[in-house]
Parts: sequence; C-alpha cells; structure tokens
Amino acid sequence: MKQKMKKMMTLGLAVTVAAAALSGCGESKAPSEGTASGSEQAAEGEKVLKFGCQMYSDGLIDPAAQINCAWNAMRYGITEALFKFDDNMNVVPWLAESYEVSDDHKTWTIKLKDGIKFSDGCEMTASKVKASLDRVRAEGPNGSSTPEKFLEYEAEVVADDAANTITIKTNTAYIDLTGNLAHPVMAIVDVEDIKDWDNGVIGTGPYMVDSFKEQVGYDLLKNTNYREDVPYDKVELLYMGDASAKAMALQNGQVDLVENITNVSDIQKLQNDENFTVDIASGVRTGFAWINQAGVLGNDTLRKAMLMAIDYKTICQSNTIGGLYTPGYSVLPSSLDYGYDTLQNPYEYDPEAAMKLMDDAGIVDTDGDGIRELDGKNINLTVVSYENRLLNDFADAQSQYLAKVGIGTTAKYGSSDDQWTSLVAGEYDLNQNNWTTVATGDPIDYLANWYSKCDSDYCAYENAEYDKLYEQLLEEMDGDKRRELITRMQQVLIDDAAVLVDGYYNSSMIYSKNVAYAHIHTADYYWLSTEIIPAD
Amino acid sequence: MKKKNVFLKNKTFLIFGFFAILIFIVAVFAPVFSGGIDPTEGDLAKAILPPGDGHIFGTDKMGRDIFARVIYGARISLSASFSVVIIVAIVGTFLGILCGYFGGAVDAVIMRIADMMIAFPGLVLAMAVAGILGASIRNAVIAISIVTWPKYARLARSLVMKIRNRDYVAAAIVTGSKTPYILMRYMLPNTLPTIVITAATDIGSMMLELAALSFLGMGATAPAAEWGLMLSEGRAYMQSAPWLMIYPGLAIFITVVVFNMLGDSLRDILDPKNE
Repeated sequence: MKQKMKKMMTLGLAVTVAAAALSGCGESKAPSEGTASGSEQAAEGEKVLKFGCQMYSDGLIDPAAQINCAWNAMRYGITEALFKFDDNMNVVPWLAESYEVSDDHKTWTIKLKDGIKFSDGCEMTASKVKASLDRVRAEGPNGSSTPEKFLEYEAEVVADDAANTITIKTNTAYIDLTGNLAHPVMAIVDVEDIKDWDNGVIGTGPYMVDSFKEQVGYDLLKNTNYREDVPYDKVELLYMGDASAKAMALQNGQVDLVENITNVSDIQKLQNDENFTVDIASGVRTGFAWINQAGVLGNDTLRKAMLMAIDYKTICQSNTIGGLYTPGYSVLPSSLDYGYDTLQNPYEYDPEAAMKLMDDAGIVDTDGDGIRELDGKNINLTVVSYENRLLNDFADAQSQYLAKVGIGTTAKYGSSDDQWTSLVAGEYDLNQNNWTTVATGDPIDYLANWYSKCDSDYCAYENAEYDKLYEQLLEEMDGDKRRELITRMQQVLIDDAAVLVDGYYNSSMIYSKNVAYAHIHTADYYWLSTEIIPAD
Repeated sequence: MKKKNVFLKNKTFLIFGFFAILIFIVAVFAPVFSGGIDPTEGDLAKAILPPGDGHIFGTDKMGRDIFARVIYGARISLSASFSVVIIVAIVGTFLGILCGYFGGAVDAVIMRIADMMIAFPGLVLAMAVAGILGASIRNAVIAISIVTWPKYARLARSLVMKIRNRDYVAAAIVTGSKTPYILMRYMLPNTLPTIVITAATDIGSMMLELAALSFLGMGATAPAAEWGLMLSEGRAYMQSAPWLMIYPGLAIFITVVVFNMLGDSLRDILDPKNE
C-alpha cells in the first residue's frame, strides 16, 4: 500500500513537472504558501541542496522595493543582470553579449545574448529587457532601491527586437554604465508575467521560486529553461540569523551549505574539520567607524592620537577577529587596484607617541581619574555600533586600546536602524559600519561619504583638496587617471585621520561533503549559482 | 536569648548565611581575590585563551582575564540586585500601606496602576522599559523595580487591611494619634516580617532578571564585568571556547542558589506559622 502510494506520488510529481514544462511562456504560478515540507516531496534521485543563509528584508525579492530585496533575488539565483562582476571586480557581460558606447558616454548599445529564457519559459526579448529597466525606475519612488543611482530617470531605453539590442540614451555621461547595470537592482525580470512581486519574481537565473514560508525560507526549483545544466533539482533555502546556529546546522547535517559564518571560532573549527570546506574570499567591504568631526573629534591632535593608540593589526589578527578581516588603514580594500601599496600611514600603532602627542597639546588628565580632558571636560567618546560582521567586537577592542591612553568611551550598541539614525543625526563620535566599497565596480559613490558638498557626508569632514579631487573624479573618464585620483583621495583621508578603519571584510561560504564545490565571490551579489554542484 | 537559638538551630540558614557572607567578602575585596588584575584591561593578542597558564579561567574575546571578571562581577550583581530589592520593598510597602489604610480613591488609583504593571509578563515589560531608557545597569535596576513593586504593594495592602479595623487602631485614632504615627507605629511593623521574607527570597530571582537583561543587551554595557553580559559575549563561542560561558554561568548559578536557600531558610525561621 505504502509502495503504491509512493509510486502514485512520483507519477503525480512527474506529470506536474511535465505539465509545467509544456505549459510554456507566461504560465507562471504564484508561489504556494508551502503546505508540505520540501523534503517530504523529494523524489528519489532528486538532487536537493539545503542552504542556510541570513534573512534580509524579510526575504522579499522585488528588486525595486529595497536594495536588500534586489540582493536577495540575485543571491538566491532567481535573477540575473545584463552584466556581472568577476572576482577582480571587472564588469563582464552576463545576459548581454557585448556593448558599444558613444564617445560622449551618453549612448549605450547593448547586444543581448540569444536564446535566453525566463524561468516561466518566456523569451527574454529586447522589449522585455526594456520593460524591466523601465519598471524598476518607474517603481523607484515607491521603494528604497534608488534605481536612479544606477540609471537616471530621464534615460530612454529603446528596444530593437529584430536586432536583439537595447539602446540606452542618457542625459548625463556615465563613466561605465555597464557596472551600474550589473547591480542587483537592475536585474532583468519578466515584468509582464509576474503576479507576486513580493515572493514570486520571475527572472532568468538557474533557480525559480516554488514556495515561500515567512521567516523560514524558500523552496526553489531548477529553472528548466535555463541556458545551461542546473546542478540541483531543488534548493531548500533556510533562514538562520545566528552565526553559531548556522555552524551547528551545518555540523548536524541540517544544511549542506551556508554563507558567512561571522564567528571566528566556529569558522576555525570548521576549517580544521575535514568534513567541511571553507571558502573565504577577500571581499570589497570595508569595516570602518565614521569619525564625527562636529564633535570632540574635530580636534586634529586628538583624532590623530586616537588612530595611533589603536593596534588595528593585532585586532584583525586576534582570535576574536582573525581571518574574517584583513588589516588595513585606507577606506578602500587593499585587494582592489587603487594603489594601496603606494599609500603611507603616518599614524601606525604607537601608544607612547600618541600619549606624547596629547601631552604636548595639553590634552592631559588633571583630575587623576585616568581620563584626559579637552577644554576642561573629560574626553568620553560615544561609540555607536551594531551586531553585524563583528563590528561590536571592533568597537570593544578599540575602546580597550583607547582606555589605555586615557581616552574614555561609552558604548551605544543597538540595531542597524539605531546605528543609521545616530549617524544621520550626527549623535556619535565613532560610528561603526561595514560598506560595500565598489557597489557598481567603482568607488565613486562610496567616496562621496567624505565629499563636503554631498548629503552623505555624515561626519562633517571637510577638505578642499579632497572636494576638488572628487569633482575631478566625477568628470574623469580615463581609467588610469581615475585610479590616480582615487589613490590621492585615499591618502588625503589617511593624512587627515578622517576615518577609523577596522579592516577589510572577507566573505565566506562553508559546505559539507554533500557539496562538491561552492565558491564565494568577491562581489557578494552571487550566492546560488550553477557553480555549486552536488557530490556524487 | 530564644531568638538567637532559632537562627542557630537552622542548619540551612547557617550554611547558606556563611556562603552569602563569603560572596559579600569576595565582592568587597575583589581586587585582593583577583590578584590585582584589572577586569576591564585586556590584550587582544591573548584573546580566547583556554584556562591555565596565568589565567585560571582563561581569557575572553578581548583578552581579559575571566577569573578577575567573574570576581568583580559579584560587585555589580550583588549591588544591583540588592538595590532592586530595597527599592521595591520600600516603595511597594509604602504604597501598599497607603492603599490599605486609606482605601477609597487612593487605593483604587494605586491598585489600578499596579494591575497594569502585573498585566504584562515581568521580564517583557522590563525589557520594554529598559529599551526606552537605554542600556545601562542603573536603567535595568529602574526597569525591574518598575515591574516588581506591585507585588510588595499588594502584600503590604492586604496585611494592612487585615488590621485596619482592629480595636487598637480605632483606639489610637480616638486618642488623637496622628496618621503618620499610626502608619509608622502600627501598620508598618505588622507588614515588615512578611515583606522582609519576600524580599530575601526575591534576591535570587532579581539577580537572574538583571543578568537576563544584561544578556539581552539591555543592562550592563561593555566593558563592564557583569555575569549576564559575559554570558552574552561568550554565547557565540559556546562550542569552541565554552569557558567563556561556563564560569560566569557557574557564578550566577551559585550566587542565586545561595541567596534563594538563604531566603527560604529565613522564611522558615521568621514565618509566624512555624512558631
């Protein structure tokens, strides 16, 4: 009886799959609310990947809703963009075949790859690409994805279905629009056929949504229309926020693959266990603390002494942080090609010199409480941080070093919202966060954080040379000259002691023997891809 | 003479009283017991070292000596939980006596406020209060006091209501005693034994609640040496460096057991029913 049931179920499943395959374009179904659990349905011989990952933005996947949603969709292997970043952060064609740009950098003609299909079977025509790029910008004001940062609202997209090209005409000259189009917000989706934008977005990626369970995760199915072989029939994507929970789930076989265990001891344990493989990539993220120059840290001497008092190398190499961050002193990661080796750091760790610097400037402890005073008031820095990528540990460690030279701190740790609110309101002295430095393959947006005429200069930093260099960078199209400008800008920030750099974050992917190969990319937009293959 | 015998006769009280005094001594003379090591000073190069080799409890993730931190932690835990107990006992008793003695509008207003407090699960409300006030051990004490006082107020109120209409109270009023005098002389002494017993048995649970708030990031803040906070900091290392959690956990366990047992035995001794 049981056997018969099983056979019937297998047959039923086969029929369903066949029906889905035959039904063709536009017959998308809304994701079911997941009545039966995935593993119960798994037929024999079916290859299933169980993937544990962090939940961002409640797991929503509409690229126009929030940046994190766009990231979700691309990370889960649901959407793809016209271009992508390789591990050196070079832009390479993805859904595009090639492109041409006019001399004034205002007309971009992009040839699309032939034979690309959405997961619902629809052809990815030039018109569909246009619809997708138009939709994300039309929806832009309703969400927080800021698509206009990647492609201005005024830009006109012209589709030529016969030639399979799109032409993008812009008012402003883009240095490299392809990098912008590689951002997950600009992912190409089947606008016409999507019925559930929250959890049922249809893209061209190797996997597609089968069902979604709130706070639990997604069941993804192989996209049978994908242009290559998709290694897994099914992916069970499970949300797990806690780093230790991820590690334990991996160890007891609940999942086969996890991303970013942010817990050094767990990572080290898994590295030493032959049953697991840890893949760590030097990413493009910098952990740093904003230094609020509108406050007590507006004092140049104090700021410089502060940097000299912190042993950033020992922190990064300690058992607490070790391996997850690469030490460094510039705002851009040393792994990127922006002249890190040519930069000079005048504020290397030297607590004696730091104390002397403050003593000479009259920043001394007169009342004997161990804390130095500035203008008659104890120096007590407000350190804002939140639980993400070891930022609290950095804040603790830095505070500990500062205490040794007589600089007091008060920890204010909260949520990422708290951190952001205090940053924007300027209610902090040091504010920890972790940024993707080259979101579009270029650090210009990130470097605007210290451009005094920009809204995102949340630290009241002002330097005429930096501003001038930034303005030059906005105009400069030549790659080598841009690199020179960017190198110089980094040096200006270093000399001014404008930023407290924690280090450069290394992303990781860890997998068990059930997976033959997985890889974490430099740009952490890509988690699930056809590279991840099952062990035999 | 008889009283002394009662205390001495109770072995549990003697034993746990001894331990409690020991814990107090450790807290007061923390610098001596920790061997002069500063609990907030660490060396990142020596982070997460296992027990042994100069650090008998190992080091935590900032390279601080866990033994010193556990010893110093007694100071915060004891002072904070005693503060809570004393605050709620005083405030609760005072308000409870007022309610019981005056009745009417005073009683209705105070008791309805108390009901509102009791309507929520204690720790959840304390979390909300601590969340609004901001994380610090002082705010945690305030938060827990706010949710705990109604218990004492209701207790004191019922005790006062029991004697409110006794003849000797009426006699006191008739002979011209002033209200404050009656409250102090007749009402308070009647509530005191029960309140003291309740307070003694509450020390342990207050300690746990404070540790819980710190664990959740709403009590003591880094780099304070507080047991709940130490547990929270060590949680991520539970598998690979269990000593980060074991020692502060043991400290909480032992202290709470000692004060709970002490409170229980004190109740046995003072409970009028046992006489």
